[in-house]
Amino acid sequence: MSEFARQVETLRPQLLRYARSQLRNDAWAEDAVSDTLLAALEKPQSFGGQSQLKTWLVGILKHKVIDQLRRHTREATVLCDDDETDIDELLFAADGHWRDQPQDWGNPEACLGQRQFFEVLEACMEKLPATQGRVFMMREWLELGTEEICKELSITSTNLWVLLHRARLRLRDCLQQSWFASVSRTN
Amino acid sequence: MRFERSCREVTRLVLESQDRELPLADRLALQIHWRICDGCTKFKSQTDLMREAMKRWRSYRDE
Repeated sequence: MSEFARQVETLRPQLLRYARSQLRNDAWAEDAVSDTLLAALEKPQSFGGQSQLKTWLVGILKHKVIDQLRRHTREATVLCDDDETDIDELLFAADGHWRDQPQDWGNPEACLGQRQFFEVLEACMEKLPATQGRVFMMREWLELGTEEICKELSITSTNLWVLLHRARLRLRDCLQQSWFASVSRTN
Repeated sequence: MRFERSCREVTRLVLESQDRELPLADRLALQIHWRICDGCTKFKSQTDLMREAMKRWRSYRDE
């Protein structure tokens, strides 16, 4: 094994974690990572060395992950019960007012400067229902536009807006419970 | 034109504004609502914080 191949191989676990968080399916994630490493080892000369090896590989992985989503469109967009839960009903009374007022999260830098905050954020993203999580990650990690996401997944824009809306509300709720509630207790 | 929105509608608009530019009427409705509603003002700040958090998460993850 060449030194290059060895270096690429050491990044496999990290790439697999990223692929899993986007695809929410172990088999698809394995395929996306294998395709990525294969492409990298076939064309090592296209790694110019200007960027870090990991950055280059993640760039390839993002394309391979989209290939997997395209290949499994139907399964990737099946809604589970959690995806279907109408969070608005839990957050708002019938007259459209908040049931519980949103809390003050304080100065953003207080949490954004802490590594543990990002660990909690990642854990909260992992907890999103599968299809919400896929759509949310396509938007936030792959940085695809909303029309592009609809096209890749063959879903309507109405479906997409509902999924993004619920994902963001769930993420907020998780951050409130897992981070901000305990921060205000200790202050 | 009617600018009154419920907190539920305002929440939907704030979240949609993360992914598309809102029409002027909606943006005005938000400004008016935030002047009188503390809960939705806090929600807006929470959304801003989450947006900034995702931005930093992206750069630290892909590095």
